[in-house]
Amino acid sequence: MAVDDVSFDVFDGEFVALVGPSGCGKSTILNMIGGLVTPSAGTVEIDGVRVTGVAPPDVGYVFQKDTVFPWRTVARNIAVGLEYRGVTRDEQARRVREAIALAGLEGFEDAFPATLSGGMRQRVALMRTLVVDPAMLLMDEPFGALDTHTKINLHAELLALWNARRQTVVFVTHDLSEAITLADRVVVMTRRPGRIKMVHDVKLPRPRDVIRLRETDDYAREYRRVWHVLGEEFAERGA
Amino acid sequence: MSGRVSVLGWRLVILVTILAAWEFLTGVKAVSRTPGLYWIDPFFISRPSAIAARFAFLASDQVRLSIWQMALSTVQSTLWGFLAGVGSGFVVGLVLGRNDRLARIFEPYIIAFNSLPRIALVPLITMVFGFGILAKVVLAWTIVFFIVFFNTFQGARSVDAELIHSARFLGAGERQIVRSVIIPSALGWTFAALTPSISFALIGVVVGEFLGGESGGGLGYLIIQSLGTLNAADMMVALLSLGAIGIVMALGIKQLERRLLRWRPEYRERA
Repeated sequence: MAVDDVSFDVFDGEFVALVGPSGCGKSTILNMIGGLVTPSAGTVEIDGVRVTGVAPPDVGYVFQKDTVFPWRTVARNIAVGLEYRGVTRDEQARRVREAIALAGLEGFEDAFPATLSGGMRQRVALMRTLVVDPAMLLMDEPFGALDTHTKINLHAELLALWNARRQTVVFVTHDLSEAITLADRVVVMTRRPGRIKMVHDVKLPRPRDVIRLRETDDYAREYRRVWHVLGEEFAERGA
Repeated sequence: MSGRVSVLGWRLVILVTILAAWEFLTGVKAVSRTPGLYWIDPFFISRPSAIAARFAFLASDQVRLSIWQMALSTVQSTLWGFLAGVGSGFVVGLVLGRNDRLARIFEPYIIAFNSLPRIALVPLITMVFGFGILAKVVLAWTIVFFIVFFNTFQGARSVDAELIHSARFLGAGERQIVRSVIIPSALGWTFAALTPSISFALIGVVVGEFLGGESGGGLGYLIIQSLGTLNAADMMVALLSLGAIGIVMALGIKQLERRLLRWRPEYRERA
């Protein structure tokens, strides 16, 4: 059993981060919301509709693994969701141009993913998901494989994009600073089988400056408070 | 660039060395009381000058069936067999690769048919399809089909599940997933099968021509005819022509691959 007796609500337009030690089932919860995993007991509902299959409507998913299509250029990758939806060529081109400008990918429109850095590929993955404008965004450690510098830049970009649209976001991470920087609420999980240990409201004003934020006392206070609880889960049991 | 030139230079050096050694060694008489004995007897392997002379003769209009006509027949049958095999192998590979139930049902038949030495089928294929070009095409097809099928099958099975999921989250239906994820993903595997496929198609065709007689024409026919007349020069003409055809076809496939798989890092610089 990966998770046990987990229950929480995510409100419209809210940014929720799930943190916990590896293997605690936080990705499993995300996959249940996305319909990739069927819970053995209990239900997941989005807007009162029970999730029964993969990819419930109006939900976007950004995977930790690189899922950009390697055989498509950057522009065609970002366009793919619009293509699936039968959006006209002109409209596709317009929205892709917009997305490329937002992600700072100008000049790389015709590049294939193999020529891009990990950070740029993840930007493409994010824009590809956002360009179809989902109401809810599921993110599974999307920046987990990136270096700190790239990660912080992407935090800033993600927050800017989110501020404009205010999608409902469920963000899985094992990095507490990432969770506090981004989220309105942090859900702390115990070790396997994962249960909810604590739900913490992050009382940091928005918009947040992802770099300055980390110098503030408020940030330190929030971090300490959650770390106090999370740290117990990281420690070896019985040690 | 200088790297390319020197590679070409070396290739030329090797070619010239082999031809010169061949020509020279088959001209050295053995010290023996029996007259006309050679160290290396050109009767068996001929010599470049004799081969060139025979080639010129076979390429002229003094012969009923010129080397060009034979080569064309071989190339045509090979290409048709290859195309039929690749097309059908790809489609069946995709379908079975994405459908576990069908794959399980057909598995024993596929394994049984593929284990059958294709040479053993030649008489039957000839009985059914006659001595013409069709029998050769069918033979090549039965070989190429399985090579392409197995590779595409593997390719279709090993498509990254997360790529499919992410397509689904972006709004793809089943058909769109096949078109935009499974086919491009499997194509890499299919392409890996094309170079061996063209060689095997050529094998199939030549074996078919061994039995096919004059109506099927082709270089395989020239080889069998040369065996009948113990004419090593003609045989060498046929073999060298087959080698040349093989090179051209393999290069063609490389080009195609380079275009269709230009997203792969190994082709990046040329994209």
